[in-house]
Amino acid sequence: MATEVIMPKVDMVMETGTFVEWLKQEGEHVNKGDPLFVIDTDKAAIEMESPADGILSGVRAKLNDVIPVTEVIAYILAPGEALPMKTVPQQILTISAPPKVEITTAPEPALAVAKAINLGKVRVTPVARRLAQELHIDLAQISGRGPRGRIHKADVLAFQKSHAAIESVNEQKNAQPAVALPAVAVPAAPVPLASIPLPDARRKQVIPLAGARKIIAERMSYSASTIPHFTLSLRVDMTEAIRLRERLLEPLQAQTGQRVSFTAILARAVATVLPRHPYLNASLADGSLILWEDIHLGIATSVEENLIVPVIREAQCKNLGQLVTALSDLTDRARNRRLTPSEMTGSTFTISNLGMFGIESFTAIINPPESAILAVGRMVDTPVRTGDGFEFRPMIQLTASADHRIVDGVGVARFLDELKSTLENPYLLI
Amino acid sequence: MITETKREITYLEAVREALVQEMRTDKEVFLIGEDVGTYGGAFGVSKGMLEEFGPERVRDTPISEAAIAGAATGAALMGMRPVMEVMFMDFLTISTNQLVNAAAKMRFMFGGKCSIPMVIRAPSGSGTGAAAQHSQSLEAWFVNVPGIKVVAPSTPYDAKGLLIAAIRDNNPVLFMEHKLLYRMKGPVPEEPYSIPLKSADVKREGRDLTIVAYSIMVPRALEAAEKLTAEGIDVEVVDPRSLKPLDEETIVRSVSKTGRVLIAHEAPRTGGFGGELAAMVAESEAFDYLDVPIRRLAGRDVPIPYNRTLERAAVPQVEDIVAAARALAQEGK
Repeated sequence: MATEVIMPKVDMVMETGTFVEWLKQEGEHVNKGDPLFVIDTDKAAIEMESPADGILSGVRAKLNDVIPVTEVIAYILAPGEALPMKTVPQQILTISAPPKVEITTAPEPALAVAKAINLGKVRVTPVARRLAQELHIDLAQISGRGPRGRIHKADVLAFQKSHAAIESVNEQKNAQPAVALPAVAVPAAPVPLASIPLPDARRKQVIPLAGARKIIAERMSYSASTIPHFTLSLRVDMTEAIRLRERLLEPLQAQTGQRVSFTAILARAVATVLPRHPYLNASLADGSLILWEDIHLGIATSVEENLIVPVIREAQCKNLGQLVTALSDLTDRARNRRLTPSEMTGSTFTISNLGMFGIESFTAIINPPESAILAVGRMVDTPVRTGDGFEFRPMIQLTASADHRIVDGVGVARFLDELKSTLENPYLLI
Repeated sequence: MITETKREITYLEAVREALVQEMRTDKEVFLIGEDVGTYGGAFGVSKGMLEEFGPERVRDTPISEAAIAGAATGAALMGMRPVMEVMFMDFLTISTNQLVNAAAKMRFMFGGKCSIPMVIRAPSGSGTGAAAQHSQSLEAWFVNVPGIKVVAPSTPYDAKGLLIAAIRDNNPVLFMEHKLLYRMKGPVPEEPYSIPLKSADVKREGRDLTIVAYSIMVPRALEAAEKLTAEGIDVEVVDPRSLKPLDEETIVRSVSKTGRVLIAHEAPRTGGFGGELAAMVAESEAFDYLDVPIRRLAGRDVPIPYNRTLERAAVPQVEDIVAAARALAQEGK
């Protein structure tokens, strides 16, 4: 009996997934639970497991295919079993009126199916849909300005306009190949840029801005260009925190199986101090300020080229041991791309630690809709005056970036000051 | 059809003029209701008519709306053209059996051998502090009864022309007169004229958004449209005038032009006629031109409160229409 391998729905709001790669080859034997393929969601790449034992067959998804959830992308067959020659389930096809598409063994079938069905799933107003059809524009390429990304007539017209601009540039290019590279008029739509000439250099690779990278690009440009950031920093003597960590290493390892990290201690300190500084755990939405009761602590983590921010929910209720467990679980799964999107969204405050890369201090861009972010640098042995002489103390630099619409300098200074005294006398954290 | 005229009279006077002119030209037409004679009607519509036409043709009745409706139905069945009046639309509840099970059905059940040419005049709507039992807008009940036509004029001109058309129609026609409109003045030609029942009227032309409104919501929508002009929003106001039969074409054409439609009525939203209008638009070819979801602005699902502030809050006012129309015009732009 053939088992279907489908594009999974890993998030409530997920409607399509972008296929990244197969971890097994067509015809290869797989066991249930083996890592089988990787998909890209809005948040991050996720590794999926094989649903059954058998032979991977009928593979029809490939890199960058945008595939509706529950769409069959391969089968797991018993040895000697033939591929089921079935068409797309009816309920998927009825989503869109356009031509009935059947999966056949023709080249690139998955892509064709994804496009046709995708058309039916795009949020679009009737007039925009009709206009796009008349102009032969693929709605999947347009991002809508309406609620929940709904595409309006204005979006189609804007797309057509920008598209016409690009085409005219391309035409110029083709007409005069010997002339130096023209400046690319970047379309007004997603990335408003002045007309900046591209360098006349050989291209190694062109990567479409998509998936997690695209989301990061959008969020960060929004944050950097609309939120009035200001940053404050101070140094913290980590002598006592180091001592605390050394004392707790063994007992906590016995308890949790994990080694206590400085990130965990920092997370605990932030979660302890933050409730007394509500404006740093806040969001600005629809003209109101929301002060969050819960501290959902985002821990900025790098996975391959992408930044992801796994979230420790209700960090204010977790003791150090629980934080250690949560943190190691989240970061492990982040690196193995097994986090679900809901574990990567909804943070109310973010900690970004680049100390392990030798960075001494840096300023971070606020992760919207949060109101502040804490950037943590490397521990540096620094001479500190003691009595008549000085001694070397392990110091870290903490830099908070905050949204000046929500909180002022003094508020952030008080938070940092309390965080500093907490870390310098960390025994209250246990 | 439309005669140029400088003469302005009120909506109430226009209703009376239509009645008087039809009674003068057709001896089968008569008025029947509570206090329509000596008292001149609950709102004064029939003042002076008893003197001109006498008690045979301007008939006062006991307080029994069932009897009024039954007598009118019987008279219509026998070839007369009665115009019955209830003091408040709310009291149509008492007449409903006669209207729904007798008047609306007979022509069909007897294979067209008879007709019921009668008009049911019903003062409707809130805004007079008359509380929950004297303020309702019950049009949705009656549009759901095949065999009855429903008309809801919004201007003196329309009131006269539509009432004459209703009297001359060979079917029961429910004629809704909004109490707040009685005192509204407007140009009305002196000579008799009729407006076809299935003819919506574009009360104001505009590019950006269509408001479909009837009865009291028409002047409110027009006032809202004027306010929005200052913001650069160009509103078209379409008045269906008769809800049944409905001139779908005029509405569909307008919505196809603007791509955005707000439907406004005073009656409660749930099960209201706005739902019918919205469904009609969605099923029509205007669907292909819609650029925002169809939106309804209607009365709240509560009995009309006596308290004036709450009464006002229970039904859409000019500022509500302004806000809803503005949001609709800006969405996705």
